[in-house]
Amino acid sequence: MERRLFMRNSALALFAAGFGGVPTFIANAANNKKILAPYKKNKVMVCIFQRGAMDGLMAVSPYGDPSLKTLRPTLYMSPAETEGKMFDLDGYFGLHPAMASLAPMFTEKRMAIVHGVGSPNNTRSHFDAQDYMESGTPFNKGTASGWLNRAVGLMGHEASPFRAVSVTSALPRSFYGDNEALAINNLQDFAIQMKGNPMAANIAAKSFEELYDATSSDILNKTGKESFDAMKMLNVNNIKNYKPANDVLYPNSPLGNSLKQIAILIKMDVGLEVAFAESGGWDTHFNQGTTNGLLARNLKDFADSIAAFWKDMSGYEDEVTLMTMTEFGRTAHQNGTGGTDHGRASCLFVLGNDVQGGKVYHNIKSLAKEDLEDGRDLPVSTDFRSVFSAVADGHLNIHDTKKLFPEWDGNSLKLMKG
Amino acid sequence: MNFKRMSKCFTVGIVLFALSGFIQKTTIEKNRLKFPYKKAGLTERQAAAHLLNRFTFGPTPGQIDEVMHKGLEKWFAEQLNESIDDSDMLKRLISYDALNLTNEEIVNTYPNPGQIVALAKKNNIILKNTDTSAAGKQEYKEQLKQLMQQYGYKPPAELERQLINQKIIRAAYSNNQLQEVMTDFWFNHFNVSLTKNQCLQFILPYERDAIRVNALGSFDKMLLATAKHSAMLEYLDNAISVSTNNPFGKRQLNNQAAKRIQESMGDMSSDTAQKRMAFVQQMLDARKNQGLNENYAREIMELHTLGVDGGYTQSDVTQLARALTGWSIMPLLKDGVGKNLIEKAGGIDKMREKGFVIEGDFLYRADKHDEGEKIILNQKLPANGGYEEGVQMIEFLANHPSTARFISKKLAVRFVSDHPSDALITKMSEAFLKSNGNIKTVLTVMVNSPEFWNADAFREKIRSPFELAMSAVRATKADVQQPFQLFLWCTKMGQKFYYYQAPTGFPDKASYWINTGSLLNRMNFGLAFATEKIPGIKLNLTSLNNNHEPESIEAALGIYSNLLLPERDNAANIKRLIPLITDNNLEKKLNDATVKNTHTEIIPTSDESNGMMNERQTNRAIKQSERAALNKNNTKPVTLAYAVGNNTMIAQVAGVIIGSPEFQRK
Repeated sequence: MERRLFMRNSALALFAAGFGGVPTFIANAANNKKILAPYKKNKVMVCIFQRGAMDGLMAVSPYGDPSLKTLRPTLYMSPAETEGKMFDLDGYFGLHPAMASLAPMFTEKRMAIVHGVGSPNNTRSHFDAQDYMESGTPFNKGTASGWLNRAVGLMGHEASPFRAVSVTSALPRSFYGDNEALAINNLQDFAIQMKGNPMAANIAAKSFEELYDATSSDILNKTGKESFDAMKMLNVNNIKNYKPANDVLYPNSPLGNSLKQIAILIKMDVGLEVAFAESGGWDTHFNQGTTNGLLARNLKDFADSIAAFWKDMSGYEDEVTLMTMTEFGRTAHQNGTGGTDHGRASCLFVLGNDVQGGKVYHNIKSLAKEDLEDGRDLPVSTDFRSVFSAVADGHLNIHDTKKLFPEWDGNSLKLMKG
Repeated sequence: MNFKRMSKCFTVGIVLFALSGFIQKTTIEKNRLKFPYKKAGLTERQAAAHLLNRFTFGPTPGQIDEVMHKGLEKWFAEQLNESIDDSDMLKRLISYDALNLTNEEIVNTYPNPGQIVALAKKNNIILKNTDTSAAGKQEYKEQLKQLMQQYGYKPPAELERQLINQKIIRAAYSNNQLQEVMTDFWFNHFNVSLTKNQCLQFILPYERDAIRVNALGSFDKMLLATAKHSAMLEYLDNAISVSTNNPFGKRQLNNQAAKRIQESMGDMSSDTAQKRMAFVQQMLDARKNQGLNENYAREIMELHTLGVDGGYTQSDVTQLARALTGWSIMPLLKDGVGKNLIEKAGGIDKMREKGFVIEGDFLYRADKHDEGEKIILNQKLPANGGYEEGVQMIEFLANHPSTARFISKKLAVRFVSDHPSDALITKMSEAFLKSNGNIKTVLTVMVNSPEFWNADAFREKIRSPFELAMSAVRATKADVQQPFQLFLWCTKMGQKFYYYQAPTGFPDKASYWINTGSLLNRMNFGLAFATEKIPGIKLNLTSLNNNHEPESIEAALGIYSNLLLPERDNAANIKRLIPLITDNNLEKKLNDATVKNTHTEIIPTSDESNGMMNERQTNRAIKQSERAALNKNNTKPVTLAYAVGNNTMIAQVAGVIIGSPEFQRK
């Protein structure tokens, strides 16, 4: 509590020193929070969508299942020295060695893994499956809103314009909807820019501020005010000179950069509550490799980015929960070109101090042919909504699961504390 | 009367009838149009500005005078007739060779990512496991590129570029502005998306053949055209929605299976026999995953016609989906799987005999249709209704009272205000029903209504990012040589058009377009645009003022405010800005500080193996564009026009005006 106060004050101090005055939206948000006592303060949920369908059977491999070796003769891995040296999670599941940077979080019980997770809709189209997972209505394409936008609306309090931020060039499907949500590709863009002419930019910024302040259009007036407040707060120099905690080095990859920007927003205390980032390249039809190769490289970037983010969040561990998701898994058997094709269930990771970690949650029977869907795929034994709703409830206090996931009456998975 | 003579009379009769219809129609449209703007307290000049703001992508310099000279009603009537000469605009499209291709030609020229992967697989070109280095990836890409060339394929990103660029060029330069505005409106209403690989090849023909030609026609025709178009059939999955209970289809499958089994029996090699049996099993397995898909049936009612509260039930959705089973796409890929099927069926003529419907790329599969009885919205469709029952239902939906209201409201939101009055919607839906969904008639009623000219509506709409970019081009008469650069800016401002993933289309309201992130980008767009920091966009701002150089920065502010924001009260804003910009040495400082730059040709690149622009590629293209804007090595040649005026100062003033709140309104 004291630390929070300190952080808020320091962010405001930084702001006030430079420009004088507290941004209106921060003041409003702070006021609202005073009134809304039951709400858990300043919790942030960070979601990473792995587009392309991650091979869950290789990221977190049920090496203890006797069928796996037969299904994947050249892709099989286990904790054995000669079979890839996976990190043994529980004597049955192994974590891919490229993801070693996440192993300590599992050991410290801050990270949970859910396996056999996916959508009840058995589409194997990337587009459809992503669409359904992001809208949260697996049998209805016309749902206008995304589940994260609904989550924002269900938090029941007014908040800052930075409440929901996606670090992408366009708004993701998860964020579609009536509640304000931002797509920010690069925080450094949060400035009035005239490349090569900072002085003219300065005059232009002043001119715009004056004009937006005077406009008779309410929405332009209000949003203009917020934009200029935000611009001053997210001072380009602060962003450029950002020093992560613990001398962490983020991987210089799209995901690493996205998570770094989310970390900046969290530390700037702009009122972020739901953040979204993407990671690509998971559609491994050909030669996905084992300890090395395409998938290993992707998994390493994925794990190292998350691990760096977590270390950077030092002092914020109680506030942040990170959850990953991917549209479906891949075939249980390897295909003719050393890869895997579109399947059904995959696995996901949930990280944070609110998580009952150190465990692989699953209802997987076995990989024997009779237990596979259509004789080829790991079936979905855990509905993605039971995980998403659990995290939204356990971390953001969103109890109204019916509104969060209309058309669903399942139970949330018990993987969060409290 | 012999037959020949009769047919001759008949032809003449038709021609006369059609001609009289044409004459009658144009006069009626003209007579019917009567704009009550005076009653609303608007001057003719203000009314002309309002008309242009709402029904074009922004007025061009002097256009308000032209419209007044022509007469407001006459201008609108001409726009409704959509036949103004557009040869100048078409010249700009000459180099775009994909614009007139059919679906089939596109499929065989610009393969989608799936087809490329299949082709690579067939030719044993795969990314080597052992070599995942950058060089290895490069080699793989190179091999793919060669393979594509060998097959005469072009990269799909090129198709995307042409689709995007043509939209920009048409919106910026077409004289038939209303047609383009309506095309934009209806495309968003019947949204399909480049984010879905299965339909991306068909989006260009979709906009051209299903939307633009019907944009000012009749609603039922457009609805049917979208229903049957490959883009929609793929986007909302109707192409894979089939009945497994069709007796004809069942018989077919059994025959095939029996044939295979028989072949295997007669074969001595058990290996072959096994393979054939496996094939039969495969066929049966594949069938297991086939069935009814309700996506399109739901969305045609919820989003395209009745609206979510339009009075349909889940049962109606299921039954309508059944009525539309078998509505599918002709196999278009040369040597693709389906081509084989047509041969097997004994050719297209034989298929028609069996009840298949083939119209261009549309294929109704009689063997996949659910022939049972259906009841939809209290309409009873008897068994064995075939293809026709689907057409009948689509016509029924198109002319339903809920549809009339739903469409009228959406039009009023786009053109009148974010919250149109009930009275206006009622007037418009009555006209919709009376005219069987004649879009011209509905628009006429709307623009004749006092609500359209009401002070509440005046300038209360916010331009979408695309409208903002286009109106900047039109207001400055900019020469757009690299349209794609404007697409990148629209993306930054929150409208990655052709990429909206959900079938709802972009929400058409100010609160969607205006947020903290997008608003700063709008201001930055204004500055980048006017100071020519966007590669391939050329301006000549002094020529807008008849090459007169403003005497001072105050003068420039006054002149360019009135040029770019005609018929607005700019005085207060000018007064507000003057103290900010009249620093003693400002002009000199600005000139000294400005980095002159050049325009480097930027061609958006896209990974061939991955189809359209994904997140990473979009970011890369934006970065490239920004780098080009900063390129210091090449200084822009000083043209005569720039030498005449104080371009830097004028450009910065214009940039502030384009980024100002007033320019965001229409």
